[in-house]
Order: sequence, then C-alpha cells, then structure tokens
Amino acid sequence: MPDNWGFVAAAYGLTAAVLLLYWRRLVRKEKELTAGKRIRHGHNQPPSDSAPSVAERSHQPSRTAHPRLDPDTKSSLPTNPTSRAPQS
Amino acid sequence: MVRALGWLSAVALALGLVMAFGVAPRESTQGNVQRIMYVHPPLAWVAYLAFGVVAVASIVYLARRRAGADRLAHASAEVGVVFTGLAIATGSIWGKPTWGTWWTWDARLTSVAILFVMYLGYLLLRGTIEDGERAARYCAVLGIIAALDMPLVHFSVYWWRTLHQPPSLMKPGGFSGSATILWPLLVNLAAFTVLYAYLVAKRARLLRAETEALA
Repeated sequence: MPDNWGFVAAAYGLTAAVLLLYWRRLVRKEKELTAGKRIRHGHNQPPSDSAPSVAERSHQPSRTAHPRLDPDTKSSLPTNPTSRAPQS
Repeated sequence: MVRALGWLSAVALALGLVMAFGVAPRESTQGNVQRIMYVHPPLAWVAYLAFGVVAVASIVYLARRRAGADRLAHASAEVGVVFTGLAIATGSIWGKPTWGTWWTWDARLTSVAILFVMYLGYLLLRGTIEDGERAARYCAVLGIIAALDMPLVHFSVYWWRTLHQPPSLMKPGGFSGSATILWPLLVNLAAFTVLYAYLVAKRARLLRAETEALA
C-alpha cells in the first residue's frame, strides 16, 4: 500500500492548526478582559490632586456647559445704561 | 498552575510527535498512513473524557448549585466540541486512503456525528438564554442526556456491522499490538489529556473573569 504522506500531513496539520487557533482565541479573550478590568479599576479610583486620567475625565460633567445659577443668588437684570445716559 | 499545565502539554505533545514519527514503525498493511492512529484515537479519547466531565459536573451543579461546577461543564463542553470535530476530521482523512471513502453512514460515524451535534446544541443553548441561572440549569440537563450517547458510540462497533475497526485499547484483553506501537499511542493519549486539562482550566478561568466583569 502507498504511504499516503499527504493524508498524514493533513491530519497532523489540521489538528495543530485548529488547536493553535483555539488556544490563541482564549489568550486574546483573556487579554481583552484584563484590559477591560484595568479600565474599570481606573474609574473606581478616588479623585486625587493630580490631573484626572482620560477615563476619569470622560465621566466628569462637561466644563464648557452653561453654568446654571442658583435662583437665590440671581440679581435683577441691570437697566439699560444707555437709557440713563445724561441728556445733553 | 495553568501556565505549568500549558508548558507540560507542549513538552508532552512534542514527545508524542517524536514517538509517532521516530519510534513507531511503518505498519506493514497500511504503510505510513497508519501514523494517523497516534493522533485520531487520542482526540476521540479526549472527546469521551470531556463529555464525561460535562455529565459529572452537570450532576454536581443540579445537586448543589455550585457556579464552579457549571463553569467546568461549560468549559469542558466547548473543548470537547473542538476535540470531537477534530476526531471526526482526522478519522475522515484516515478513512479515505484505507476505506476508499471520506464518510459513510455506519453506526460509529453516525453516533459520533450525533454526539457532536448534541454538544453544539449545548453551546448554542448557553448562548441563547440570557438568564445565567436558567441557562446553567437547562444545559446541565442537556449535558446529562447527551452523555447517554457515549456508550452507544463506544459499543456501536460491537452491536452493529461497521466499517470502523473495534477499539485498540479500551477493549477486553487490552492492546494486542507490539510495544513500539503501544508506547507512542500511550504517550500521545497522555499528552492530549494534559492538553485537555490545560485548555479546560484556561477556559474555566476565563468564564469566571467574564462573570465577574458582567457583575
């Protein structure tokens, strides 16, 4: 009977390729989870005096938003200065 | 521990390759294509082992509701599906030059295909049910029912007339070939068993981390 080395190579090659791909998939998932965990830990850290990280800044309210005044501190609108201008 | 298992399986697999191609002789009737025997039965053995572990872990889960048992069953089912698929594929590759066909609907091949589909269904069921506790409960029941196919797979070569040969090792009277064939086979069986343990440990650890990340 002929040796059929091609069939032997196919069987061993397929087994090696599939097992390697499955192992790499597990390693990749593990790395993704570790990275995700690191980001979450970054969110849970207490605020420090130093500048906040990018992850922390993303959860802070925007500083460019219009400030809302407390109604008690509101002052009446100034009158139009032009209307009080001395008449010459 | 998991890392050590990984290195051990790499060394054992390398040794298995050396035994399969360097120590085992060329078989007189089949020629060198018989060397597929050093990879195909170990893959099939690990498939049996994996689904046996799924059944035992499922029983433990249903009895004690331990999350660890559920994770072990899930991980073992996934690894078992990979090994069963490979066992079917390598058997098909071996079948072509020796039987003259890639596939035939004989009792052994069909019962293994049913086993493969049942555990694919197991993994699909896990993916479709969102409630983790309900998914674990349903899958535990399916894992036990699916394991009932394993004796059918093993004894199919005795109960029906099949193209597939009877088992080489797991049979009454043990192995009947020479030691130069037996030892490479045993080394590869051990190597694939260690690899199974490594992959299941890694997958189970990953499942735990995923659960913690979602909590």
